[in-house]
Amino acid sequence: MKAVFIRELKPLLDTIAEQMELYVPRKSGEYYVFSKYDPATGAAVEFNNIRVCTPVKEFLFPLRELAAVFPEPAQPPQIKPFAVFGLKDCDLRSIEVLDKVFAEEEFEDPFYVKRRKNMFIIASDCSDPAESCICNVLDGKPYATSGFDLNVSKIRDGFVVETGSDKGEEFVEKHSQLFSEAPETLLGQRDEERVKTQKQLEQQNAELNFNRPVKEVVENSEESDVFDQEAKTCIECQACTRICPTCHCFYLYDTSQKDYFAKMKMWDSCMRMAYAEVAGGANPHKILGDRLKHRLMHKFVYFLDRYGLKMCVGCGRCIDAEAGGVDLRVVLKKLSEELKEKQKAKVAK
Amino acid sequence: MNENPYQPIDGQVVDIIDESPTIKTFVVAPQEPFRFATGQFVELTLPGQGEAPFTPSSSPAQAAKMDITIMKAGRVTALLHQCQKGQKVGIRGPFGKGYPVDDLVGKEVYIVGGGVGLAPIRSLFLTLVEKIKDFKSVVCRFGARTPEDLIYKDALFGTWQKIDGVDIKLTVDNANGDWKGNVGVVTTILNSDDVNIKNAVAVVCGPPIMMKFATLKLLEFGFPAQSIYLSMEKNMSCGIGKCGHCMIGKYYVCKDGPVFTYEQIKKYPHIWD
Repeated sequence: MKAVFIRELKPLLDTIAEQMELYVPRKSGEYYVFSKYDPATGAAVEFNNIRVCTPVKEFLFPLRELAAVFPEPAQPPQIKPFAVFGLKDCDLRSIEVLDKVFAEEEFEDPFYVKRRKNMFIIASDCSDPAESCICNVLDGKPYATSGFDLNVSKIRDGFVVETGSDKGEEFVEKHSQLFSEAPETLLGQRDEERVKTQKQLEQQNAELNFNRPVKEVVENSEESDVFDQEAKTCIECQACTRICPTCHCFYLYDTSQKDYFAKMKMWDSCMRMAYAEVAGGANPHKILGDRLKHRLMHKFVYFLDRYGLKMCVGCGRCIDAEAGGVDLRVVLKKLSEELKEKQKAKVAK
Repeated sequence: MNENPYQPIDGQVVDIIDESPTIKTFVVAPQEPFRFATGQFVELTLPGQGEAPFTPSSSPAQAAKMDITIMKAGRVTALLHQCQKGQKVGIRGPFGKGYPVDDLVGKEVYIVGGGVGLAPIRSLFLTLVEKIKDFKSVVCRFGARTPEDLIYKDALFGTWQKIDGVDIKLTVDNANGDWKGNVGVVTTILNSDDVNIKNAVAVVCGPPIMMKFATLKLLEFGFPAQSIYLSMEKNMSCGIGKCGHCMIGKYYVCKDGPVFTYEQIKKYPHIWD
């Protein structure tokens, strides 16, 4: 890890854009979205103080992609190196989750792996968390400490750029003329900002202190009717799973083109009624509340049991996207209260 | 295995056998060498139309052609039932872990099957009888809705009955005039002295409701949960533990199953739904 200083972002992004396609945050209404960076337009570079609205999975696992062509196998798509600027700790942790699924040794998803290998990650610190951000209660921080090639922290008169990989290290060495030394005082400034943001998160999420692991809270809710209650207002739009950076369910379907057949991969959602239905009609998740329960069990229990990390990074996107008013924070809080009551009753006995 | 796990290999339907009014066996010849272990499943693609998971019903020893017994149950299977000999198909797999044949050596194997659930069981049965001396006995209790719904009739009433070390009993839920055997669901022909439970392993495959009650009966007999092997039918799609549709708790049925011991999955909700 090496830290350097740069006064403005433009020279850094211009240099990256000379080498590969670069995606940067752009404000759209009250949210940020990614758009392709074009140095020629001279548009001001925006530093996103908070995660971009759309999930990073779009870069690695597109909404819809060609998975197979036959009778003649398709040539694998040519993926060129690309860079994404403005990813946050929650985004990087969501990539860690996706890596577990799509890059696992036994069965690699060749499309994901190709994109992942070609991705250059420029992360940045958060300084203005949204009301829905709950990363601090789910192992996250408003700044990244790993999982990036470069990380950019905004300070008073410029930016601290830190390297986090060999690729990042090489980049800084190769373009050393862009940067100056980052003395301790600047790193001190950065750390002050980080502490401030962390405190803000802790304050706003003070009520989400469960006093016990979230896994335990969710795992013990098998018999709870909180899911049925909370799902009452769900309109089954599936936005929560589409926008979730770790949700990775997909649907494989066959199509017929003029001179070939194809298999397509398309995002799917476990909140969909027929998601788990089999041809004979059996469906373990017929009831909406059961689907909500399964979604949370997967995120906080099953994935953790299987891969050793939670499948929720606390980015809060599902809360922002909710059209039906189902709030992850409320569900977790109610489950936690229920568990406390249960344990109290047990002690009383 | 193919570098792209979503890419099927070519295959062709070389024969079609009518088993019952709703069930046919498709003999499929893969166009390149294809091996599977008994109990593993394949994804069979009808090009441009869709794919569905099936456990081959033939012995893995018969490598050039595999039998796939299919009940008309949904969209893809209905289309498959309309196919003729010569139909081109795609095959992905094999997927999953299959039956633990090595763990059955020296044991009494107690096989409970129902309906089209006899398909995976036929593959296991043929695998076992190839080395029948390795197993203490193979005791089968099979059921179907009506006599005409019973599949593999020639084997069930003929060749399989004659194999030393094999004991087969059949039942149907509803009988017509000619049926001389037992009438009742499959649990009505299960008896605690069919096998010596201390040295037996049970294998169950059939419709969910039958699997549930057969499992409960076996537990009542004293079978430990880890000695009951269940072939779980869930919505297996990708086959490689990624797409999520077939999850039972932390398990992907496609990758960790489709055969599980009851011990592995009993704590999870809706396993029979």
